[in-house]
Amino acid sequence: MAGIAGTVTRVAGVLLTAFFFGLTFEGFGRKIAARIQKRYGPPWYQNFIDVFKTLTKHGWTHGWIFDFGVLMALGGVIATLSFVPLGNLVAFPGLDNFFVIAYLFTVGALGMAMGMVGTGNPWASIGVARALTLMLGYEVPYLIVITALMFYYKTGNISDIIVAQAQSGGWNIVKFPIGALVALISLQGMLGKEPFEAPIAPAEIASGPMVELSAKYMGLLMLMNTFMEFVEISLFVDFFLGGGTYFVFLLKYFIVWTFAVMVSTVLPRFRIEQAVSFYWTVPILLAFLQAFFVVNGWVF
Amino acid sequence: MTNSMNKPPVEILEKAKELFNIKIESVADKQYRLISENDKAIPLLSFLKESGYSHLSILTCVDWIEEKKFELVYILFNWSNGVTFLVSTFVDREKPIFYTVKDMWPTAEYYERDVHEFFGVEFEGNERCRLPMILEAWDDLPPLRKDFDPLKFSKEHFPDREYEKDVIHEAKIIRADLEDARGDING
Amino acid sequence: MAQIDERSVWEKIADQLRSRSMWMLHYCTGCGAVELPPSMTSRFDMERLGMGPMATPRQADIFLITGYLSAKTLRRVIYTYEKMADPKYVIGFGSCTINGGIYYDSYSTINRLDYYIPVDLYIAGCMPRPEAILNAFNTLMKMIRKGEANGWKRYKENYEWYKQNQLRSLKEVIIHDEFHE
Repeated sequence: MAGIAGTVTRVAGVLLTAFFFGLTFEGFGRKIAARIQKRYGPPWYQNFIDVFKTLTKHGWTHGWIFDFGVLMALGGVIATLSFVPLGNLVAFPGLDNFFVIAYLFTVGALGMAMGMVGTGNPWASIGVARALTLMLGYEVPYLIVITALMFYYKTGNISDIIVAQAQSGGWNIVKFPIGALVALISLQGMLGKEPFEAPIAPAEIASGPMVELSAKYMGLLMLMNTFMEFVEISLFVDFFLGGGTYFVFLLKYFIVWTFAVMVSTVLPRFRIEQAVSFYWTVPILLAFLQAFFVVNGWVF
Repeated sequence: MTNSMNKPPVEILEKAKELFNIKIESVADKQYRLISENDKAIPLLSFLKESGYSHLSILTCVDWIEEKKFELVYILFNWSNGVTFLVSTFVDREKPIFYTVKDMWPTAEYYERDVHEFFGVEFEGNERCRLPMILEAWDDLPPLRKDFDPLKFSKEHFPDREYEKDVIHEAKIIRADLEDARGDING
Repeated sequence: MAQIDERSVWEKIADQLRSRSMWMLHYCTGCGAVELPPSMTSRFDMERLGMGPMATPRQADIFLITGYLSAKTLRRVIYTYEKMADPKYVIGFGSCTINGGIYYDSYSTINRLDYYIPVDLYIAGCMPRPEAILNAFNTLMKMIRKGEANGWKRYKENYEWYKQNQLRSLKEVIIHDEFHE
């Protein structure tokens, strides 16, 4: 469908998919974590109830920087999300370049940082400092691997990479196994799950950046977290698992998400300096190795 | 220093007795109680600290209201042979003043604040005794003294829940009219 | 005891949502806090009711007062209770919150909790077992759905009465200790 109506419909489709399936898969993730711990978990629609409940409480705001920060966080992530291709569903065809998405990523993170620091609570500042330090850790190996990938395919456009995977018949996870491993480790850090859960750290720094959010702000931040997860895992599925039609894409998304949840329920939490020093030793070496292989043309 | 830490406790007690004129009782297998006078207590403590009893487990106070004295008890422990010494001195109850030992053991500062808040003993040299540590906004008698009545204080300051006596219900229980009662009020 | 249900449609829907996803503040006073880890972990799972622990008072709905409250803790509990966002519910565990329990004659513990903060539900016991705690959570959920859990409204309407009781027992609610100054 062409024209404004088509674009609006596709953007709405992307956002509604992220909202509905993001929250549903989070509910499934809680159920899976509960079953690993040998108990029944909450029902699968629990996250919907959580988000709507936070919208019914009467909270407070902490000034205009706080409001603006939360809006910038959620707005930035929604903007990022509308550019990401969900397999074959592309809202803005031709504009889904990786550089655009990486650029818009920072809007969300910086908005949250600005808003949280504006509350004046020292726990928030500690949490934000940890989140940005962790970002220094996981971004570097991830970007090296993606750059190697883009060098191999000679394009930065994600839809073209998906099409190239379909044409050559093999997914990138088979061609670039080391790169996929590095991307999975970086994904665990991006999602903020154990073992890289230092920024949120519920009982240690009283939820880190989310310490002063009361009612609807908490609901908006939960949505921001859901959308951010959707973006990150969608990028991994597009780059390494070949995208696909709508429901195949969601199935691959669910498999990656389950893997991340299962890893996060059994591992403890690293300290922030351990996490960054880990990221700067092993994954960086593997990423350089992968880049070396790609430059010499040794792919499967 | 090293060879004085391994002396058996009886030897140390003999030496302390001739230096400081203390009374010694044996409380249990590895516990000894030493009673000393006011002005010899701190030199005794530092002598014991150098002989290997370098760990101050606690500093507490006992209220002897009939004899009108407070007994300050210092419990010292030796890590190499596991022997405990309970060093006690008696302080007058009307004007309880003693000296601080926080230069020897830094944690004694908090024990002294505790004893000051709950018994009223002043420790010269420890200025932070005035700051509240456990009891905040307290202006009554120090609570662990034996002439303080906690039940009266609790009834004045913290109101109780009033229960009403339901006479008819109790009468039914006594007459065994209710099915699941056993005919006795107190169950 | 039939009360006229004065809630609007939105409030009724909101109460249905609030009862199914309650977040408990991770601050349990007194010795009854030992009964919460069994309720949260695998045997008596609390998460299937939708409840989970939440670290900060700004986002929590339920405040559990588990056990005795000394005067010093009561000041901090009042600070925390006033920091929570409406609507909020308080559950008093154990006999120390009901009538003083075994510490009824102590110079520093309170004897009756609902003079100081409004309580929605009491659980009897010393300490109540996890089965009793889950029963209490179910009862609280039913009370919320019927609209009877109005502690937060009572606090706002009778604020002077609560403040007067707090000042009578505590002499001042502002905390002066070396960590706050």
